Amino acid sequence: MAKRGGFSRKSSASEEIPSSSMADIAFLLLIFFMVSTVFRKERDQPIEWANAEATEKIDEKRKNIVHVWIDDSGTVFINDQIVPFESIAGVIRPLYTENRNLVVAIRGDREVPYNQINTITEQLQASGAVRVTFATRVEQRVQRARR
Amino acid sequence: MAVLKRKERVSDEIPTASMADIAFLLLVFFLTTTVFNEEKGLPIVLPEEAEEQDVSAKNIIFFIVRPDGSVIVRRGESEQEQVVPYNQIESILRTELAANENLIAAIKTDPFAPYKHMINVLDEVKLSGADRISLQMLEE
Repeated sequence: MAKRGGFSRKSSASEEIPSSSMADIAFLLLIFFMVSTVFRKERDQPIEWANAEATEKIDEKRKNIVHVWIDDSGTVFINDQIVPFESIAGVIRPLYTENRNLVVAIRGDREVPYNQINTITEQLQASGAVRVTFATRVEQRVQRARR
Repeated sequence: MAVLKRKERVSDEIPTASMADIAFLLLVFFLTTTVFNEEKGLPIVLPEEAEEQDVSAKNIIFFIVRPDGSVIVRRGESEQEQVVPYNQIESILRTELAANENLIAAIKTDPFAPYKHMINVLDEVKLSGADRISLQMLEE
């Protein structure tokens, strides 16, 4: 009778996870994340955010958003540059003609008097950029009840 | 002399077994320190310049924000003014909107009122579902 070799054959595959390729996998992931990371070019200004419960996430590409900062002393920053109130329209207009989808995010300190915000919105209207968001932080209902 | 005969036992290869640990450590570090900056806020579309429209008084409800943060409601036609707490603005506007869907919520803010009070009112107006919102500054 012939030998029934099929059953007695031993499997030669190793039971261990190949650890030599692990480093390659990890470095590949690392390099992917490093290359795909985009650094922000603008510095945050120190402001106290206003809170709102109706805060929405703005679904807009980063290149379509320009931030207008107003700190508590009433200084306006656009792209890290101090901009006087009367020349905001002059700064925003070329950005708007370049990109019609521009959204202006007003990041104002919560204590800024309203006439300064009003000046900014008037300047934005003059420049044609009418899509505006008032940047706020999400507020919970418990906090809201207390104010 | 026995001291001179001792052989160096150190391997001259880079230890590859720990390489994966180092790489993953770096990976986890970058993953956890990355902050995604989302854009959050209250979106509004300003009227274009010279696009001011005349609106009949019955289609407007005014919310007047005073410097101390108190809010006065004035319904278009009547001169009657009424101080309301923040948590009632939403329900007032909801009932008004149900009666008149062309209603415009106009937020009139005092020039010296802090920005946060105007945001609080805008928040309530947004929560009530009104989509016709007007931002104005109180004239002296």
